[in-house]
Amino acid sequence: MFDVLRDNWTLLLIGQYPHGPIGGIIVTILLSVSALVIAIPLGILVALARISRYKVLRAPATALVYAVRGVPLLMVIFWVYFLVPVLTGYPVTGFVTMLCALVIYDSAYLGEIIRAGIEALPKGQTEASRALGMSYLKTMRAVILPQALYNVVPSMVTQFVSTIKETSLGYIINVQELSFAADQINNRLLTKPFPVYLILALSYFVLCYALTQLAHYLERRVTRKRAGKGNKMRPGKERPLLEAAVSEH
Amino acid sequence: MIKFSGVNKWYGEYHALVDVNAEVRKGEVVVVCGPSGSGKSTLIRTVNRLEEIDGGNISFDDQDIHEKKVSLNAFRSKVGFVFQQFNLFPHLSVLDNITLSPMRVRGMKRAVAERKAADLLSRVGLANKAQAFPGQLSGGQQQRVAIARALAMDPPAMLFDEPTSALDPEMVGEVLNVMKSLAQDGMTMMCVTHEMGFAREVADRVWFMDAGKIIETAEPEAFFLHPQHERAQRFLSDLRTH
Repeated sequence: MFDVLRDNWTLLLIGQYPHGPIGGIIVTILLSVSALVIAIPLGILVALARISRYKVLRAPATALVYAVRGVPLLMVIFWVYFLVPVLTGYPVTGFVTMLCALVIYDSAYLGEIIRAGIEALPKGQTEASRALGMSYLKTMRAVILPQALYNVVPSMVTQFVSTIKETSLGYIINVQELSFAADQINNRLLTKPFPVYLILALSYFVLCYALTQLAHYLERRVTRKRAGKGNKMRPGKERPLLEAAVSEH
Repeated sequence: MIKFSGVNKWYGEYHALVDVNAEVRKGEVVVVCGPSGSGKSTLIRTVNRLEEIDGGNISFDDQDIHEKKVSLNAFRSKVGFVFQQFNLFPHLSVLDNITLSPMRVRGMKRAVAERKAADLLSRVGLANKAQAFPGQLSGGQQQRVAIARALAMDPPAMLFDEPTSALDPEMVGEVLNVMKSLAQDGMTMMCVTHEMGFAREVADRVWFMDAGKIIETAEPEAFFLHPQHERAQRFLSDLRTH
């Protein structure tokens, strides 16, 4: 296993770059991070539309959520793969196709996560803010979303972790990400599928595990800050919210 | 200053407010009392339109509050509202809770807003809690911060919706004292409360509600000594027997 890793680590890390297209784990990370960065604001919009009292906003958002929830990600990828070139008139790269599919998928799921976070807050928070003369948007921005988003960090981390794993589906449309690189190595070595795919599995695991740990750390920091600068909370008194998210993976 | 004319409200089939006609005059302290479910909270919440009404009208400073040209947010910023459950923003420090709306709604500079918040905090006796978070305060302290937060918009009138009902008994006094000092400064106040001692000492008038109607309006002495309405007599004797 170590000789496979020694001979091929650059391919797993950055693909054929600089002699060919960039790939490997870098592309996996790039794909998941960009998908999430684009999908979070869209997810907020989906959440706000879902709880809007205007049907023109509520109906399309609800349709999106139900459609995405009811279809495997692979179908979304195929649809984007064949539809986007037709709609735009340009051929798009596998990376862009995969990114579009992930953004559609994640914004629907994040929308539901964020909606749950908003609806879990006591109604008094909105009322208090509106009673002070704050508009709906100011209330959302300054009072509701900061609390709702913080409370759903564990679910969003879970979603991010599954996004990282789902980038492997890009393999099917020739996105040169981590699984693609591993497959290239396997095809070249021919006789060592077990070490190759073990390395692949471990790479995903390390990436996801590191991420949940980072989120865990950030969450503890925020909790400490809110409990007061002097940290009067007794350690271990509160079960960290993230334990749930970590234990699922 | 706050005038209800023929106000009606239904929750589906349930008639929550029935032809309410009454007025809170400028500088007056009105205590609204009555059995639970009588519509007290609904009535006070209609004043800043947390509840909409189905009939009649409400005017504030001779301005119909439901008129189209009235900007709801600008109007609400002129009416201080204190909730039973305090409703402080738990993610913001005490200071930020108070400066939020002056800065966001009135466009006040942070330094000015913070100076003002500090003044208000010392007025409610919490000058040393500016940097604390709501979760670190007792119920009574949280409610005093909530009062300071409402006062930060310089409202000409304050509404209190059962401000002491969620408090442990030993914390009721500190909140009532802040309310008393407000009343002494001439604030127009409408308070839904079960604190009959407060009503007796501070109120100019008591409104007694039952089944969505104001069935008795009187000065506190008269109301407590000689309630006219049979329902009010029963309510007061129920209070006394505890």
